[in-house]
Amino acid sequence: MFSRHISDRLAAYIEEARDANLIEQHLAECERCRAEYVQVRTGIDALQHLPLAVAPASIWNSIESALVGSPKRPVFSPWKLGLATIAALIIVGGAYWIITRSNARWEVDGLAGSPVVGTQHISRAGRVGAGEWVETDARSSARIRIGDIGSVVLSPNTRARVLATRPQEHRIALAHGEIQAKISAPPRLFFVDTASGTAVDLGCEYSLYTEENGSGLMRVTRGWVSFQRNGRESLVPAGASCRTRPHAGAGTPYFDDASESLRRAVDDFDEKPGADALTEILAGARVRDTLTLWHLLPRVAAADRGRVYDRIAALTPVPAGISKEKVLNLDSETLTHWKDELAWTW
Amino acid sequence: MVHLSDREISTEIIDACRVGDRDAFRTLYGLYKDQVYSVALYFFHGDQAIAADITQQVFLKLINNVTQFRGDAEFSTWLYRLVVNVCLDAARHRKAQPPIAANAKPEAFAGPASQEQDFARAQAADSVRRAVSALPAKFRIAILLRYFEGLSYEQMARALGCSMGTVASRLSRGHRILAERLKSFEGRRQ
Repeated sequence: MFSRHISDRLAAYIEEARDANLIEQHLAECERCRAEYVQVRTGIDALQHLPLAVAPASIWNSIESALVGSPKRPVFSPWKLGLATIAALIIVGGAYWIITRSNARWEVDGLAGSPVVGTQHISRAGRVGAGEWVETDARSSARIRIGDIGSVVLSPNTRARVLATRPQEHRIALAHGEIQAKISAPPRLFFVDTASGTAVDLGCEYSLYTEENGSGLMRVTRGWVSFQRNGRESLVPAGASCRTRPHAGAGTPYFDDASESLRRAVDDFDEKPGADALTEILAGARVRDTLTLWHLLPRVAAADRGRVYDRIAALTPVPAGISKEKVLNLDSETLTHWKDELAWTW
Repeated sequence: MVHLSDREISTEIIDACRVGDRDAFRTLYGLYKDQVYSVALYFFHGDQAIAADITQQVFLKLINNVTQFRGDAEFSTWLYRLVVNVCLDAARHRKAQPPIAANAKPEAFAGPASQEQDFARAQAADSVRRAVSALPAKFRIAILLRYFEGLSYEQMARALGCSMGTVASRLSRGHRILAERLKSFEGRRQ
């Protein structure tokens, strides 16, 4: 029999019957280890509730895209390998030059009317490359196929310019109007620049409206989008929106099903941060609205940060490892950890 | 659930991968993708974007380095050593980053055919996900490798770069913490 406690051996005993006789003798006489045995057993059994997640099909597409240009690699002898390496460097260098210097062109479908692609009106289909504009008038709309990672539909009265068509950077600039983006690719491959900041795709579907001065609205219907400007970031999940403002960038995100008073108060706060608007936001917040409250933590005055913390804590238990002091000091790791926990309710 | 240890990876597939056969890579990817994605998804608190990124990185590293695989170790051990390294590297990198997205909605974990109709089961699954998410990283990765991949203690020791005793200890402690977290969730509901 083991004379010392057997806490660290219990999983191996339960799962693989290791040292079964000795451990069973110990368990028969040790109440503490029997209690721990129940705990380990509970933990193991609980895992049966975890479903296997299905990897999105887009991952393989991305892997294949990343492999484009890398030829099949048979096993060479060392000297052949040296020659092959030189040849491969020339080929890869050439491919890189072609990819980065030339403008891969994206297909454009006319959905209604006669949108302009480059300098040409199109009725059905055209192609657009980096540096060229696509523009719709009041009676036209168009769809740009963003390589093989998704598409963007331009609503009427929209003007957008293609900026980059590289495998690792698909970027357009939205001058004015509205787009609906549908992207299925790993995060941070598709970007939309506006006068008030950049929408960074994190695997999603969303609409983005902007006026020429940058005033606008982003609404996410699937996945997540990050809106960034000068280090300030708003993370917007499906079902939520955020306003954009000239020179201010991303507004505070809120869920579309939040109360009207909360949404109005968020707008007021973003326009002119103040205690009255904050009081209204805090009063109207539900558990799900911790999305809004979490984003407010670094945006409110330091003196008001404790109120935001207290309201989140009142709505949902503060997880272990989150200290109020670190939150009030805007400790990056603590805020990330808390966001990860809160996001279960978003 | 099909565990890795239940599957046979033919030497023909590995050999075909070593000479750059894309179809063989695709086959290999198809065999492991959901397990690798699941480990990454639960390790990173349900963040689909990071899980997809991790899965892509793992398979690109695998494809780019498969010629170095000599067959003197099990393929799965090599693969899961890659998974562990990429996950832990990403976790370290994230600590130095400002907040980034977290796709932590319960739907993130469901495949197209897994519409959860039973509310109690969905609630239980949600509690377990939260409890796993709260585990310290070294316990979390050990538990996920054991559960989703069905690796033996010996395989896990090689994948994690530690002794079998350490594996046993991390699993025991991890499960106890898991049970305590679940108990506290139940307490809050009542």
